[in-house]
Amino acid sequence: MAPRGSYLDLFVSLVLPNTLKTMAHKHTNDDHSENHEHHIVSYREHFSTLIALLFLTVVTVAISVFGASLASLSVFTAMLIATVKVVVVAYYFMHLKYDKKIYGWLVIIVSILFVAVSVLTAIEYLNR
Amino acid sequence: MGMWLFLFTELLLFGGLFIVYLIYRVLNADAFLSASYELDVTMGTINTVVLLVSSMTIAMSITAIQKGDSKKSIQLLGTTLLLSLMFMVIKYFEWSAKISHGLFPGLDLYKSLPPGEALYFFLYFIMTGLHALHIIIGAVIIAVTMYRTRKGLVTADKYTLTENAGLYWHLVDLIWIYLFPLFYLIH
Amino acid sequence: MASLSTNVNYFQAKSGIFSWIFSVDHKRIGLLYLYSLITFFLVGVTLGLLMRYELLNPGKDLLEAKTYNQIFTLHGVIMIFLFIIPSIPAVFGNFFLPIMLGTDDVSFPKLNLLSWWVYIIGAIMALSTLVFGDGPADTGWTFYAPYSVKTGTNVTMSVLAAFVLGFSSILTGLNFIVTIHRLRTPGMTFLKMPLFAWSLYATSWIQLLATPIIGITLLMIIAERTLGVGLFDPSIGGDPILYQHLFWIYSHPAVYIMALPAFGIISELLPTFSQRTIFGYKAIAYSSLAIAFVGYFIWGHHMFTSGMSGTARFIFSMLTFLVAIPTAIKVFNWVATLYKGSINVQPPLLYALAFIFQFMIGGFTGLILGALATDIHLHDTYFVVGHFHYVMFGGTGFAFFGALHYWFPKIWGRMYNIKIANIAFTIFFIGFNLLYFPMLIAGLMGMPRRYYDYLPEFHLPNMISTYGSWVLAVGLILMLGNLAFALFRGRKEVGRNPWGGITLEWQTQSPPVVQNFDRMPELPKNGPYDYDNKPTIND
Repeated sequence: MAPRGSYLDLFVSLVLPNTLKTMAHKHTNDDHSENHEHHIVSYREHFSTLIALLFLTVVTVAISVFGASLASLSVFTAMLIATVKVVVVAYYFMHLKYDKKIYGWLVIIVSILFVAVSVLTAIEYLNR
Repeated sequence: MGMWLFLFTELLLFGGLFIVYLIYRVLNADAFLSASYELDVTMGTINTVVLLVSSMTIAMSITAIQKGDSKKSIQLLGTTLLLSLMFMVIKYFEWSAKISHGLFPGLDLYKSLPPGEALYFFLYFIMTGLHALHIIIGAVIIAVTMYRTRKGLVTADKYTLTENAGLYWHLVDLIWIYLFPLFYLIH
Repeated sequence: MASLSTNVNYFQAKSGIFSWIFSVDHKRIGLLYLYSLITFFLVGVTLGLLMRYELLNPGKDLLEAKTYNQIFTLHGVIMIFLFIIPSIPAVFGNFFLPIMLGTDDVSFPKLNLLSWWVYIIGAIMALSTLVFGDGPADTGWTFYAPYSVKTGTNVTMSVLAAFVLGFSSILTGLNFIVTIHRLRTPGMTFLKMPLFAWSLYATSWIQLLATPIIGITLLMIIAERTLGVGLFDPSIGGDPILYQHLFWIYSHPAVYIMALPAFGIISELLPTFSQRTIFGYKAIAYSSLAIAFVGYFIWGHHMFTSGMSGTARFIFSMLTFLVAIPTAIKVFNWVATLYKGSINVQPPLLYALAFIFQFMIGGFTGLILGALATDIHLHDTYFVVGHFHYVMFGGTGFAFFGALHYWFPKIWGRMYNIKIANIAFTIFFIGFNLLYFPMLIAGLMGMPRRYYDYLPEFHLPNMISTYGSWVLAVGLILMLGNLAFALFRGRKEVGRNPWGGITLEWQTQSPPVVQNFDRMPELPKNGPYDYDNKPTIND
């Protein structure tokens, strides 16, 4: 958690006694150590993730280019595949697989919230 | 955790635009479809691939620094940066092609568009524009990470910056993963 | 260089203006917010008094119609974005959240300072609309399209100011969430946190997740104004109602940003002044989260007469009634806390009791507005104005002042004159109700809002209301004057715990030392309000 505004570092040293600076510094270390268990993901695993994502991309484009007759279905499928890709990126590249569970839950809850708000808005329009 | 929370705000920021897109597509389905033919699927696909690869390279840069290999981490970050540049170049070509045809809010061809199509293009420019802005911000963060790694301020014991840069970059990728089918793959 | 000296309180640590405006000490930042907030509040009050003066009699008294529109717009922008939304979190959250959690600062102190600077920049931007061009926006603080796109007044700057202020809100929310997750003192689980912390937690999530939506919506308005073609223009297939949707998707949760911290304050005041534990701790804690969550789905109740589909109106009305349930749970629990308590009548308690009374009026009138049929009659009337002033001012505003009276001795190490505080409260309370209750009547009678003139039949409620505003102003000046006087001449030696509270801030010195605790904080055995096992606090 790199604190933003590192230009403010100058002023920190003006106003804080030394001991407090070390205490403030301690916080970022705490965040750091709690955030992950120092699990190192291999280069190979990252590469495999990319292959999976590229495959999904090919599928999505193919459906769109070759499956034009199933118009409404292809919208749904495209969104579905996009969502799978997003989950793959989040779970592997963004390390959710190895992080504490709370992060996964937060992502899920926030996503549900957003989807629910969008759906509610859409319902309003679809029923006019 | 702080970066994840910030990512949520970015998600909701773009989310607002996605809601607008959703509603206007529902209201103007045909117009959106015909407007989408203006976009080049090949270029869009290439950009998608570029970003996916760049997500991999930045994830690998974290692996590298965890293993203490600062040099490799910088190289991978640099590769990510180059890929982001490639994305921007392709985007530049796409945009300039449209603008030279007058297909930008305020220009001639745009003004003569049927209603739904005008909305499509307005959304296209705003959403890909905001996305491009975030690519630039991400590139700056990556460059800063490279610099600090080179200076020895980012190490195998303290690489939170690299992780945060990675998370931010993946978000940029995520947004594009949704933008791509919504604008390019309607048919 | 002094090490962890227990003699240096946070006022004494460093002096000079730069040590304050560039401080990363959460206590100093809290006070920076307080002083700026009160200043902007007084500007907003002045605008309000001007409006009330215009409405004293039918016909033009002082202001042109357009000026009146600009004044109520700026009044709204200032009161909502510069005062109420930051108020309790930025002042008391900043000052006391770390202390209540038993730690020495928030997770990101530098980000905290940045939040304040962004706030100041946004405030200056908002106020600058007074001095250039065609004056402040005249659209109402809601900036509805299409008028906001077309009017020549300073909408772009106002909207940009709100955008900037949104960042301040987001950063504060982010900071508090991480602080609450990461920095609780050992032994303090989530369910042993004070309820004020719970309310800040729920609030912070709303600040984090809802604010970006208005951010992007306001950017869309700016895009429409500057690029000339827009997203809410029906002639290109757009829909102005979509603007309303996007606006209220933030602005309804925003009212819970205003309300939840106030609930948290009341949950702190009542146990202290009844000297017993809060009734239903878990219910209050979880209901905060419930209100935050359900609050995301009820924005449509601001739009019942806009042209939305019938299905949507039905859904929004139903969900609006749902959110009243966790709120009511809190009210019942508060009253039960007072029951058989050892009541200590002091100014903070008076504000808390007034809160309960006024928030209930606000809440009930909200239900009336939430019901579809009655809303048709009452939408955009003075009934709405009365409703939201009861909840925002009579509710959150009073909670804010109650908190100020409660924590005053802790923050400044001085005590104010209790008798004058009580008198000021009484005048303030009477003035408040004289000002706003007639609005409910006028609204029921059919008087529209945002009008600078009205039909003669609405004269009586308007007259009472304006006189009420003068009484309120007297009470307000007396209250603030009393507190300001105490800053310089108040009795010192207040001790660590003048009210007999039990949360951790009452174990610190008054004012606290820079690192907050000069001794390890001692947690009460059975939860944060365990009055049966009060730790002994010796000065």
